[in-house]
Amino acid sequence: MKVLLSWLKDYIDIQESPEKIAEALNMTGLEVEEVIQPGKNLDQIVVGKILSRDPHPDADKLSLCSVDVNRGQPLQIVCGANNMKAGDKVPVAMLGAKLPGGFEISRAKIRGVESSGMMCSKKELGLSEDHGGLYILDESAHIGEDIVKALSLDEVIFDISITPNRGDALSHLGIARELSAIFNLPLHRDPLSNEDGEDSIENHINVEIEDTSHCPRYGARVVHNIKVGPSPEWLKDRLEKAGLRSINNVVDVTNYIMLDIGHPMHAFDLSKVEGNKIVVRNARKDEKIMTLDNIEHGLDSSMLVIADANKPLALAGVMGGLNSSVSENTCSVLLEAAFFNPTTIRKTAKRLGMMSDSSYRFERGTNIDNVPIALNQAARLLKEIAGGKPVKGLADCYPKPEILRQIRVRTKRANRVIGINLTPAQIETFLLRLKLDTRRDGEDLIVSVPPYRHDLELEVDIIEEIARMYGYNNIPETLPAITSVLQLPTALQKICTRLRDHMVSCGFNEIMTYSFIPENVSDSFREKKPMMLKNPLSEDLSAMRTSLKWGMYDALRRNILNDEFNLKLFEIGRVFHPSAGGLSEEHTRLCLGFSGSQNPRDWRRNGENFDLYVIKGVVENIAKLLRVKVKFTTGSCSLFHPAMQMELIVGKNHLGEIGQLHPEFIDNKKMPKCIYLVEIDLGKAAEASEGASRMQPIPDLPAIRRDLALVAPESIGNREINKILTAEGKALLEDCYLFDVYQGKGIEPGYRSLAYSLTFRDLRKTLTDEEIQPLIDKMIGRLDRELSVKLR
Amino acid sequence: MSESHETLLQQYLSEHQTAKSTADLETLRVKYLGKKGEVTELLKGLGKMAPEERKAVGAAINDLKNRIQNSLDESMRSVALSEQNAKLNAERPDHSLPGLYPSSGGLHPVVQVAREVADIFLSMGFFMAEGPEIEEEYYNFEALNVPSHHPARDMQDTFYLESGQVLRTQTSPVQIRTMEALKPPLKMIGLGKVFRKDSDITHSPMFNQMEGLVVGENISMADLKGTLVMFVENMFGKRPHRFRPSFFPFTEPSAEMDIQCIFCEGKGCKVCKNTGWMEVLGCGMVNPKVFDAVKYDTEKYTGFAFGMGIDRIAMLRYGINDIRLLFSSDIRFLRQF
Ligand SMILES: [Zn+2]
Repeated sequence: MKVLLSWLKDYIDIQESPEKIAEALNMTGLEVEEVIQPGKNLDQIVVGKILSRDPHPDADKLSLCSVDVNRGQPLQIVCGANNMKAGDKVPVAMLGAKLPGGFEISRAKIRGVESSGMMCSKKELGLSEDHGGLYILDESAHIGEDIVKALSLDEVIFDISITPNRGDALSHLGIARELSAIFNLPLHRDPLSNEDGEDSIENHINVEIEDTSHCPRYGARVVHNIKVGPSPEWLKDRLEKAGLRSINNVVDVTNYIMLDIGHPMHAFDLSKVEGNKIVVRNARKDEKIMTLDNIEHGLDSSMLVIADANKPLALAGVMGGLNSSVSENTCSVLLEAAFFNPTTIRKTAKRLGMMSDSSYRFERGTNIDNVPIALNQAARLLKEIAGGKPVKGLADCYPKPEILRQIRVRTKRANRVIGINLTPAQIETFLLRLKLDTRRDGEDLIVSVPPYRHDLELEVDIIEEIARMYGYNNIPETLPAITSVLQLPTALQKICTRLRDHMVSCGFNEIMTYSFIPENVSDSFREKKPMMLKNPLSEDLSAMRTSLKWGMYDALRRNILNDEFNLKLFEIGRVFHPSAGGLSEEHTRLCLGFSGSQNPRDWRRNGENFDLYVIKGVVENIAKLLRVKVKFTTGSCSLFHPAMQMELIVGKNHLGEIGQLHPEFIDNKKMPKCIYLVEIDLGKAAEASEGASRMQPIPDLPAIRRDLALVAPESIGNREINKILTAEGKALLEDCYLFDVYQGKGIEPGYRSLAYSLTFRDLRKTLTDEEIQPLIDKMIGRLDRELSVKLR
Repeated sequence: MSESHETLLQQYLSEHQTAKSTADLETLRVKYLGKKGEVTELLKGLGKMAPEERKAVGAAINDLKNRIQNSLDESMRSVALSEQNAKLNAERPDHSLPGLYPSSGGLHPVVQVAREVADIFLSMGFFMAEGPEIEEEYYNFEALNVPSHHPARDMQDTFYLESGQVLRTQTSPVQIRTMEALKPPLKMIGLGKVFRKDSDITHSPMFNQMEGLVVGENISMADLKGTLVMFVENMFGKRPHRFRPSFFPFTEPSAEMDIQCIFCEGKGCKVCKNTGWMEVLGCGMVNPKVFDAVKYDTEKYTGFAFGMGIDRIAMLRYGINDIRLLFSSDIRFLRQF
C-alpha cells in the first residue's frame, strides 16, 4: 500500500525524516518496502514553454526549438522528440542539471547547432517507464517554475507491506495512528462531519438487511444535483500517487475515503435503484450480475449481494454492478458504506476469483464505527467538488450495535511472556499511546479494544502490543532454562546420514529433484497409480512420485545432453504411495544413477565402463554399511534390460532393484547404452538392519590355503558351486571366495573357468594337508556328479 | 706383526683405495680372505709351524684377517648404501600426474547448509523431528491457527491433492505432531521439504525449511532472542542483528530477525536492497490457540517457534542467484560443492 507523507500530515504533525519514519514503521511491524521520493533527484529542471519549433538544418529527425524558461533570453534546444508543438509547456533540464539516470546536462553542439538544455520525457525524469515523447505539461503550469513544485513531486511515498492481521493499518489514518503511538504525537481527527442537508433520507431510500451475520451494518446517503466530471487536481494527484487511477469525481471520492480512513465505499446511480429500496441479501439461485469490469457472473446463494426491489446491484464488498454504476449522466447518487463479515466477503471473492481494493479491506476487517463517518465525509466532498446537494440524514441499518471487546491483561503474565519487568503504569502508558483504553484492576489491566483492531482477541495479542511499544530490540537475550525430553535420531535418520557420507566418499554427487513429476511418464517409472495434485503448477509437475527413478533418469539424461557423460549421482528422498482412504504412505528411498566410465580420470584404466557387476558391488557395499543381508535374485522390472537386472531381497521382502536401463528409454543419440539405476527402500533396510555382531577371537593357529581351478558349463552359476564348496568344507572352511572367472583360449566354448581360494582352519589344533584332502576330494566329487564341474 | 704381514696389509690398503663398487670389494675379499686368499694361505701355513711359534704368528695373522674383514665389511655397507641410493635416485616419477584414487563426490548444497544449521541446534540440546510431506489440512492450517477463509491463507499458495490433503506449505505441522506425541519440556527442530505454488528465480514450488520449537515453563521472548542470536552468531559470525514485529498466525508476538548484510557489512547493496539488513528467519511466541489444539496447558506452558528457508541461506552462503539451480541436478552446478 502506498502512503503519502503529506496526507499523513492531515492527521499528525510529524517532522521526522522519511528515513526515520520508515525505520520506525519497520521496527513496529509495518514493513516499508520502499521510500519513493520522485522529486528527490530533480534539480534545475523547470517549466519551459516552446515558442517555436523548426527543423534542424542538418538532421531530418531533429528539431530546433526556442524555449522560454523565464530567465531572460529564450533557450535554443535541439530535440529528437516529435510530439511537441509551439505553445506546449514541457520540463526543461537547464545547463548543469543532473537527470535521475546520472546524465548531466552541458552545453553541446548537436549536428553543428548549439543546444543549451534538454526537454524531458516522463522516463527521463524517472517518473514512469513511458518514453512516448516529451512530457507535455498542463496549460496552467507557470513558466520557469521548478518542476518539483509544478508537478508537486516534493512528495514522500512509503510503499508498505501490511500483514493480514493489520486491516486497521490499510489507510492513511491507520498509518498515522501507528506513527502517533510510535512517536507519541497527538492524532488529529476531524470532528464528526454533519448529516445536514435538504429534504429527508426516508423519502428516498429504505435499507433492509436480511441476515445481519453477513452484514451487521449498512448505511446509505443520498446526494442530488451531482455534476459528474473530472476531479480537481489535488484529488487526482493524491489518488495517482497512492496508485489509483482517477475515474471521475464521484468514484474518486469513494476511493479517496477508502485510502483516507480505510473504509471502502460504493456509489450507485440513484435513478437505477428501483423501489427506493436497498436489500442486503444472499443471491438467489440463477441470479446474474454484470460487474464494472464487464464480466458477467453467475451467482449462488452463498454470495452476498446489494439489491434493490428487483435485482442485484452489486456484489457486496467486492465490486459494483454495471447497471447501477455512476455515469456521465448521473445526477443523484446513493452512497454506500457498510460493514460486511470478512469471511462472507472472502468466500464470495474467492469463489468468483475476484479481488478488489474493497474486498481486500473487508476481508481484513474494517471499522464498523466508520460507516456514518465515511458517508458524511463523502457527502461533504461531493458538495465541495461536484456541486452536490446532500439529503439530510443517513439510512443507517445497524440492528445490533457491537459491544467493545474487553481483554484482561495480567502484568505478571505480560512480563513473563516477554521476559521483562514492567509496572502496570508503564504498560498503561504504552496502551494509551496505541489508543487502547485501559482500566486498572489491581495489577491487571482491562483493555477495551477499539472496533478497528480485529487482531486483538486474546491477552497475548495485547502482550504483543506491549512488546512492540517496548521495542523488540530492548528485550534482553537469555537462554531457556529447560532440558528437553530426549529424542534420539531414528534408525532411518541415522541410515540417511551415514549413506549420504558414504555415497559422497564413493564419488557420488547428491541431487534433489521435485517430489512431483509429469503425469504422463511411462508406467515403467511408476510403482502405483500416483496421487495427483488438484492444482499443479503445470502438467509436468502434477503427479506425486511413486519412485525416485524418473527423477534420476531425467537428471542423467539432461546432464548427458549437456555433454556430461560420466555420472555417478544419488538422491535420498521420499516417494508417495496412495493407501486406504486416499491417505498416503511416504517411503524414504535411495536412488543411484550411473552413466559412462567408472573412472574417467584414471589415466591407467580410463576405459572401464560401468557394468552390472560394478553396480552390484556398490550395492553390496551399501548393504554391508547398513548391516543388511541382501539377496540378489532375477529381476522383472520393465524399466530395465530384461536380463541385466536383479531384484534385491531382504528376508522375504522386496528391498529394491538394480538394472541397466532398457534400450527403449535411450531416446537420444548422445545417451550411452550403459545407464544403470538402483533404488533401495531405506525404511525396509532400517528394519532389516542387524545390530553389531560380537567380536570373534583372532586365531593363533595357522590356516591352510588351497586354490581350486574349475571348469563349469556356462549354465552353472557361482552360487551353486559355492553352495557345494561351503557344504563340504564343513566347519573347517573358514573362507571361500571366487578370484577369477575366465572364458576364451584354452577353455571349450560353452564352458568357463572359475577359480576359488579356500581357507581351512581348526581353532583348536594345527591342521595338516592329510586332514584337508578328503574334504577337497568330496567337493570335487560332488561338483562333478551334480553340476558336471571338473577340475581344470 | 711381521714385516711380511705389514706389507700384505699395505698392499690390501692400497688396493682397497681403488675399490669403488661392491663388485671390486668382493674381488678383494676373494683375493685376501677367500678359500685360496692370501690371508687364508697364511693361515694354512700355520700347520707347518712349531707350536710355540704357531701361537704368536696365528694371533698376528688373525689380527690381520680381522682388520681386513672389518675394513671390507664397513666399505661394503657404505658402498652398498650409496649404490642403492644411486639406483633409487635414478627412478623418475612424474609428480605432476594426478593421483588414482576415485575422487569423492559432494553433498547437495542445501543438505550441507541444513547439516550446519541442525548441528548448531543439536549442540544446544534440540532434537530432530520429522513429519509427512503430504499433510492433512488440519495440521498444515487449522491446528496452526489458520482457519479456512482466513486471509492468512493468502500468505502461502497451497497445492491440494485430489485426495483432499495438501502438500505441506511449511514444516510447522511437525511442531503439532511433535507436541501431540510428547509432553514438555521440549526443544525440537524439524527439517524438510515444503511446497508452495510459485516459481521464479527466488521461488521454487519445492524448497526446504528448518523449523524449531521450544516449550516449557517460563519460556519468554527473551529466551527466543537469546537462542536465535546464539544460532545466528554461530552460523554467520558475530554481527549486528535486529528483531522486527511481524505476523504469523501460529505465533503471538511474532517477529522477523534480520542480520547485517553479509555482502556489504551494512553499507547497502543489491542483495539487501540497500537496507544493510538481511532477513534470516521468522519467529515468535507460540500462540495459545496452537497449544489449545494440542491440549497443552496454556497457563502453565509458554514457548517459542522459529522457521527459516534453508535454500535461501544456501543461496546467500554460496552466492547462488537462481533457486531453481538447486533442483536442476546439473552436475556442472553440483560439482562445485
Ligand atoms: Zn548488502
